[in-house]
Amino acid sequence: MPHEAHPDTTVFKVRGLSKIYGTGHAAVHALDGVDLDLNSHELVVLLGASGSGKSTLLNLLGGLDTPTAGEMIFRGWNLAGADESALTRYRRDVVGFVFQFYNLIPSLTARENVGLITEIARDPMDPAEALALVGLQDRMDHFPAQLSGGEQQRVAIARAIAKCPEVLLCDEPTGALDLRTGLTVLEVLQRINRELGTLTAVITHNAVIADMADRVLTLSDGRIQSQTTNASRRPVGELIW
Amino acid sequence: MTLLDRKLLRDLRSLKSQIIAVSLVMACGLAMMIMTRSLIRSLETERARYYASQHFGDLFASLKRAPDSLADRIRAVPGVGAVETSIRMLVTLDIPGLAEPATGQINSLPDRRTPELNRPLLRAGRLLAPAARDEILVSEAFADAHHLLPGDTVAALLNGRKLDLRVVGIVLSPEFVFEAPPGSALPDNKTFGVFWMSAEALGQAFSLDGAFNTVSLTLSPGAASGPVIAAIDRLLTPYGGRGVYERADHPSNVRVDDEIRVLKGLSFGFPLVFLSVAAFMTNAVIGRQIALQREQIAILKAFGFPSSAIGMHFVKFACVIVLLGTLLGVTGGVLLGHKLVIMYHLFFRFPSLDFILARGALLAAVLASSVAALIGVLGAVRRVLRLAPADAMRPEPPANFRPALAERLGLARVFSVSLRMALRNLERKPWQAILTCVALALATGILVIPNSFRDGINHVLDFQWDVLQRQTVTVSLQEPGSPRALADFRALPGVVLAEPFRNVAVELINGTRSRRLGIRGLTADGTLQRVIDANQRQIPLPTNGLVLSRALADGLGLKIGDPLQVHALEGRRIKTTLVVAGLADDFAGVAAYMELDALNRLMREGDRISGASMTVSSGKWPEFLKAIKATPATAGVGIKASARASFRDTTAQSIGLIQTIYLVFATTVAFGIVYNSARISLSERTRELATLRVLGFSRRDVGAVLVSELVILAAVALPLGLLLGSALAAAILTTVNTETVRLPLVLTLSNYAFAVLVVTVATTVSAILACRKLNELDLVAVLKARD
Repeated sequence: MPHEAHPDTTVFKVRGLSKIYGTGHAAVHALDGVDLDLNSHELVVLLGASGSGKSTLLNLLGGLDTPTAGEMIFRGWNLAGADESALTRYRRDVVGFVFQFYNLIPSLTARENVGLITEIARDPMDPAEALALVGLQDRMDHFPAQLSGGEQQRVAIARAIAKCPEVLLCDEPTGALDLRTGLTVLEVLQRINRELGTLTAVITHNAVIADMADRVLTLSDGRIQSQTTNASRRPVGELIW
Repeated sequence: MTLLDRKLLRDLRSLKSQIIAVSLVMACGLAMMIMTRSLIRSLETERARYYASQHFGDLFASLKRAPDSLADRIRAVPGVGAVETSIRMLVTLDIPGLAEPATGQINSLPDRRTPELNRPLLRAGRLLAPAARDEILVSEAFADAHHLLPGDTVAALLNGRKLDLRVVGIVLSPEFVFEAPPGSALPDNKTFGVFWMSAEALGQAFSLDGAFNTVSLTLSPGAASGPVIAAIDRLLTPYGGRGVYERADHPSNVRVDDEIRVLKGLSFGFPLVFLSVAAFMTNAVIGRQIALQREQIAILKAFGFPSSAIGMHFVKFACVIVLLGTLLGVTGGVLLGHKLVIMYHLFFRFPSLDFILARGALLAAVLASSVAALIGVLGAVRRVLRLAPADAMRPEPPANFRPALAERLGLARVFSVSLRMALRNLERKPWQAILTCVALALATGILVIPNSFRDGINHVLDFQWDVLQRQTVTVSLQEPGSPRALADFRALPGVVLAEPFRNVAVELINGTRSRRLGIRGLTADGTLQRVIDANQRQIPLPTNGLVLSRALADGLGLKIGDPLQVHALEGRRIKTTLVVAGLADDFAGVAAYMELDALNRLMREGDRISGASMTVSSGKWPEFLKAIKATPATAGVGIKASARASFRDTTAQSIGLIQTIYLVFATTVAFGIVYNSARISLSERTRELATLRVLGFSRRDVGAVLVSELVILAAVALPLGLLLGSALAAAILTTVNTETVRLPLVLTLSNYAFAVLVVTVATTVSAILACRKLNELDLVAVLKARD
């Protein structure tokens, strides 16, 4: 598996990364010269107000968008210059995504939603195994409409990890969930990071979540305002709301 | 302009290609409706005007020969209005520039007065001078085919004497709107023409002065035709009358009626189907628009816009489709109508057959398209009206799915995940799937129809000319001749084989059913003109008994072994009873066949022949033609090759145009329905497809997921379409088949392959166009949005 091949090494080396939307007077500097290193096994939380640039950073890391300037080196490969099909390959082989609104395919069961990924990935997990990892071994043949929000998000996580990605990117994974369900989802993410060693980046509005991370990045106006390294990660169960 | 209207304009702009697709399908239906209704109107109006202005008769009869004085007795029959008698003869013509002899039907015109009925209409030159022996009028169709002008001469054999006749005028006649050789299904203006000549001159040439052999008459106002027909039949029988028939059975008029009947069928069925498809497409487009604008609608409602105003907003959407569809449909209908009117000039000779736009059809078109669009939009708008603002603010709950039927039956393992998605989507919206499938089947079906007619016609032609009539040429005599005439034919240059035939006009009677036609006497095992059964085997003619066309036997209610009464309508008017000895399977006309010697024994006139079928060696063909043109006593010469060529030309032109129209319509429907389905599917599943892209599916993979539903539908629709097309072709054939031509249903692999190919190409191209929208998918935006 990829994470075993590169133990505790730098996965991303980001230098002078900028993203500008629009031109002229309407130009918006969503990211403004970000420098950053991300390592395998790390759980990083990105904090910041709306419009601070955290989603833009995540999208660039995930190969959903290309930067206006700067370098974004993934294991020696500069993604900033990659074309559309290379980015598609990158997303398929390297990245697992978890979104705020789950984005499951409504016409597929939980098992099939996960199986979808294993159809295109190189060395995937068995869908049942991935679903067991998120605690849904009993709900595998349910359609999304038959699952609760938290369950749907856990299916989404199972889908993201089933291909054993090197990078797991989560954009507000608990944003649409109530507190208790949100905690369950975070526990799953923490466990996956711990057990599989996947570099995990989680965007959140909720500063409390920061305590579960190895490192907390705070963004503001497209720049990294501060970086804090937690001496020890707090288990999700001990987070104080 | 209200703000809602401004929103409407912007929505329309963003949906323009889908709106065009719906409007085009609607336009096809409307174009067909306007074209057919207008053509019916054009034909009926012009026919009525023409018949009235040229005093076309109500009843018609031909007979052997009767003195002119009989006309007064006919006039005296109660219920009879005007009466006009004339002489009508078939002659052989030698036309400059035409190697083979042509056949002319010469009709007499009274010398010192205008005919009371069936007046020719002068198109060029002048009418005949009284008693002019060498002057003729020529039908325009024949004149056009040979570029004949007033002043040109035509050589004709009149009762054995060769005469040079001078064309003084070019005319049209209400009796020959459809000008074809007697019994022929299509015109052959190269080798058959109609002429008019002074009654005195024609009468003298055929020793018929003071006599006539055809009569036509009108009924006085309010008179019923039945008793008049019976009375005149009684008067004509002693003079060899072959039965009075009405205008509805007049061969030329029947062909116009047939065409109008076909048009009427098309004017209803075709638009109905196309407009139904358009209604469904409208519903799909607007329904999707409403689903997408759920939140906007909620906000408008929350701000206090009345539901009616919002409902109206979407109705206006439909109105734009109606407007565009009507505009395109009317333009298309008028253009096609003009093209078809020109095609009609090939078949129907009217003084001025112009395209008349049926205004009623215009109104009906607007109404029909409005109804179709309203039906389409109504269900969708009802959803808007019901939507409570608070509900609408919330996203729609995730759609409910379940395993597809095929999976529940245990086939799940066989299917890939994307195939499962497609099957479940289809099953969740069965009506959408069924209607898309039906529309695609329709597109396939309407391609099969014209080609099956083309193949049917070719089959008939090949059967008629390769199996039934294997002679090069058929020559008929003015009057039945002796076996010497056959010897004379055999002596003509190049004749390899000559087989005699005899025609006798008879009435066949079975109980209350009867039929007048000619019995054709042939040699028992003839090799040229043959009688063929259903298995394409020759039926040897028995020495007693008759072989009937299957259609004739059906009409008379007869089967093999049944007796029937035969009354000869010429000669000694022998009456006898014969047995049905066999049934012949033929496609053109109906016929009764007898062994030649048996027929001659029956007629008690000794050995007589009406003509001969011959094969002529190609090396001697010019000499043969030269000789036959100079042979006296020939009434007509039928040359197979030229009849065949003319038939092919005419059908090629008409079928070609109709094929083009059907092709355009089918392509439009296939293209429109697939494009629309793909776009709606794309819109409904934007989020799903974007998710797949984010997860690492390539554009091609995602495109495949998008079109796999359409591929499934097309795979079901194509065979259904072929079945539908075959059934429609069969149904149309049963309505258009007449005694003159019975087209068999011929369905070839190449016909099917063509239909499948066209629909597949249209489907693929439109799917590719719709898939190009995938490139515009904004992955980030889609993922951030709620559904």
